[in-house]
Amino acid sequence: MSSTSSRNDTGRRETRTKRVLYAVGGTGAFGVFTVPLAWGLFRSVQPGEVIVAAPDPATFFDLTAENFVALVTGPGNLIRAVGNSLVVALCTAALTTVLATAAGYGFARFRFRAAPVAFALVVASMMVPFQAILTPLYLQMNLMRLTDSLLGLVLFNTTVNLPFGVLVMRNAFSSVPGELEDSAHIDGASTFRIVTSVLRPLILPGAATVALYAFLAAWTEFLGALTFLTDRDLYTLPVAMVNLQQGTYGDINFGYIAAGSVIAMIPCVVLYVALQRFYVAGLGRGEGLSPAHMAR
Amino acid sequence: MSAVLSAPAAAPTDAAPARRARSLTHPPRTGLLLVAPALAMIAVFALAPLAFALGISFTNWPLIGEVEFAGLTNYVNIGNDLGFLRAVGYTLLYTAIVTLPILVLGYALAVLVRTRRRGATLLRTVFFLPFVVGLTTLSFIALLEAQPGSGAVNLVLAALGLTDGSTAWLVDGRLATVLISVLVIWGVSGLTMLLLMSGMQAIPREVYESADLDGASWWQQEWRITIPMLRRTIAMSLVISVIGSLLAFTQFYILTSGGPGSATTTVVLHIYKRAFVQLQLGSATALSIVLVVVVALVTALQLRLLRGEE
Repeated sequence: MSSTSSRNDTGRRETRTKRVLYAVGGTGAFGVFTVPLAWGLFRSVQPGEVIVAAPDPATFFDLTAENFVALVTGPGNLIRAVGNSLVVALCTAALTTVLATAAGYGFARFRFRAAPVAFALVVASMMVPFQAILTPLYLQMNLMRLTDSLLGLVLFNTTVNLPFGVLVMRNAFSSVPGELEDSAHIDGASTFRIVTSVLRPLILPGAATVALYAFLAAWTEFLGALTFLTDRDLYTLPVAMVNLQQGTYGDINFGYIAAGSVIAMIPCVVLYVALQRFYVAGLGRGEGLSPAHMAR
Repeated sequence: MSAVLSAPAAAPTDAAPARRARSLTHPPRTGLLLVAPALAMIAVFALAPLAFALGISFTNWPLIGEVEFAGLTNYVNIGNDLGFLRAVGYTLLYTAIVTLPILVLGYALAVLVRTRRRGATLLRTVFFLPFVVGLTTLSFIALLEAQPGSGAVNLVLAALGLTDGSTAWLVDGRLATVLISVLVIWGVSGLTMLLLMSGMQAIPREVYESADLDGASWWQQEWRITIPMLRRTIAMSLVISVIGSLLAFTQFYILTSGGPGSATTTVVLHIYKRAFVQLQLGSATALSIVLVVVVALVTALQLRLLRGEE
């Protein structure tokens, strides 16, 4: 067993060359993946005219908060858009989690005749990318008066995230031992109480995964919001930024776009870093990833 | 269906022997009620539009005015729709460009972080960050940095002596394709990394220990053990990135709007413009149906791969 010490945890031999390569490659790759994002952060505190000018040492480090101030007070007011995005993302996360938890419990623990067909429909809907059915979806939502409505956007985003959520929650409930429920039933607890009290701590990681994915997907969702919203007051952050970029509010100020990008980035980075284990757990072998997740 | 809903609650003892005893703690009716809301959402917002799409695709469907039945006209016209054919060609080209680099970079990153070496957890987090931030935001950042004379892309290339720093990346079809491809490869390879890494960590260490005893080199272990054992995971991540590329929209809409001309117009962007700029909903929907079929075929492959794994 003397060779064990020279092996790493995957069973491969650990050599000095490998350690050096790891240090060099790791440091280099760390830079490649962090510098562009950090650079984006830096750009947001540069004035717009410096961003588009050839770098001049005299002005390049004139840092300012004016982009962020302008986004709050200026003509391209992004605060409203941030609010809309937040409402849509939070409601999508809540609704997706509730519906997916109920359906996951139903599929994992209940036997009913329609179950196989119902489950097949859920899986089949994963094969229908919303990007491809956008036109009829738009017409239908228009008919239902759900275009130009944040509610409509929430329902749309929820549907996109549901199949993945149902799969995750079904697995979460399946891994809970049945005896727990049995004893709760004997105590006379209702189905609702069993899920919200007895099973809650056990399914919470799954629910967190579903909520996190739904929030992040809704927060960055672009094509749907671009298509379904025409009322400026309802724009979500990405759509409002496209309008900034296209000069709807006058001259393009790249400083605003840099600041908007940072605002868009913050919740993603914070939530991901804080809740990383749920994110990675949800990934599994990629079975739940729908085209909506991939093309985002 | 109605039998399930209205069946009298029979005691488990007198149920027919061929039938499964009806659970008292988990009544079928409750199960149906639990899955109904999610199912209703999927039926209304995913499956109904699909059925609707099939219907629309056989009409001229203008936004205003009489709807006329058009038979297969929309589908027949696809063959003459040069814009669509060009978009298909461009999307396939783009998919061909980015797929292999995403896999290779994702694999390399996975090799880097698959062990429990110091810092590996931090590196995993960092490599996955761009994917979490999302292509929408990444595209806006890239937009600033692609500007001639001022963007970081040009500054770096000029500093390296490769260009004079005045390259206008986004107004040239080829250059824009290069820029967007690099952006996407950088932005999404973290997903491939995570999928491959989980696969690599599941390979029993004994396999490598005995390979070592047989004197297999690092390359031989990678080629003869890791890659063959990861075959399905690799196929899965390929399918995932191919579907993502076939549906590409955001980065092109933000960075080039499909231009110059239609040089960087992808299929989804073409359909979007056909429907919401030119307002030809019937023909746009016929194109959508084609896309649905293609993506469904690739996704079916994904599910098949997963089933084979079990």
